[in-house]
Amino acid sequence: MPSLIDLRRRIRSVRNTQQVTKAMKMVSAAKLRRAQDRVLAARPYAAMYRELRARVAAAVAGDERLASHPLLVSRPEQRILLVFLTADRGLAGAFNTNLIRAAQTFIQQHADQQVELVTIGRKGRDFFRKRKAPIVAEYTGFSQRFQYADAAAVARFLIERYERAETDAVYLLYNEFKSLISARLTVTRILPVEPAQTVRPPDYIFEQPAIELLAGLLPRYVEIAVYQALLESVAAEHAARMTAMDQATKNAGEMIARLTLFMNRVRQASITKEIIEVVSGAEALE
Amino acid sequence: MADTFLLEVATPERLWVREYVREAQIPCRNGYIGVLPGHAALLSELGSGQLTYSGDKGSGSLRISGGWVEVLDDHVRVLADEASEEST
Repeated sequence: MPSLIDLRRRIRSVRNTQQVTKAMKMVSAAKLRRAQDRVLAARPYAAMYRELRARVAAAVAGDERLASHPLLVSRPEQRILLVFLTADRGLAGAFNTNLIRAAQTFIQQHADQQVELVTIGRKGRDFFRKRKAPIVAEYTGFSQRFQYADAAAVARFLIERYERAETDAVYLLYNEFKSLISARLTVTRILPVEPAQTVRPPDYIFEQPAIELLAGLLPRYVEIAVYQALLESVAAEHAARMTAMDQATKNAGEMIARLTLFMNRVRQASITKEIIEVVSGAEALE
Repeated sequence: MADTFLLEVATPERLWVREYVREAQIPCRNGYIGVLPGHAALLSELGSGQLTYSGDKGSGSLRISGGWVEVLDDHVRVLADEASEEST
């Protein structure tokens, strides 16, 4: 039977852990709020962009120069680039594990093709680096802070590789933020750029040739896709960490309750034993 | 004809302006354009410079650069690459 002192020490240590997890939960909650605000703030631009591109695409529909635009050319998918977004840190439940498993599945599904990786986030990079997977670029530190310019830099790298025909398709794999308790693993193809749904083209006055405008709009499509994925992934990461830490705090609470009960029982047992000793000692004297 | 039009200014990171205004000056690649209600549909790349507007709720000014502007049916959408509130 463990001694009282040991039990007390044990309880104190669990309580310390509980305080840490509680603090982490609160920090994650604050960061999640900020991340959610950013997701919302980015929506108007993305919506306006989609509408604008659809209308410009309609205006140039039928132009044969359009089909030859390097970002619209689709080639047979021989070499695939998988952009893989994970967190920089752990303690976020199954967040990173799920992503890594999904990436492995993706690679297996495309075993006939050559899959190269672009990792964003430390966890995914470390995992695939240990397994000597082909990582062509890596970015870290984005879950702490990132600007639109960071997403644009990643997008530029992808676009350049695609334009030089070093890769035939670019996929994004990330956790989409659904709600506090659920994230959805998402795989989307961002290059070649999907043809826009065309709408009835309004009778524009074009200050620049429409084809030039569209050429300028297309790289932005990739930038926005990467930026959106980053925002979602960061929000999902904080949500996952918050849930994980909440669970950890609860578990620690349960453990403290159990240990306290056990400790009281041990103490009571020793008191009872002492009383029996005293009583039987007294009885022996009679 | 309405005497105001809807002006929206957004960058990838946030929305800067969404309000009804009477007039706006927008820095396009080929020079400034002035927009009044009832303007013809227009599409242009943005240059960099000062975007100014004035309406019932007062006037405002933003420094913007890069992107596109679309004028359509009394609805002006400015999709700038960058924007800031400080003036030149």
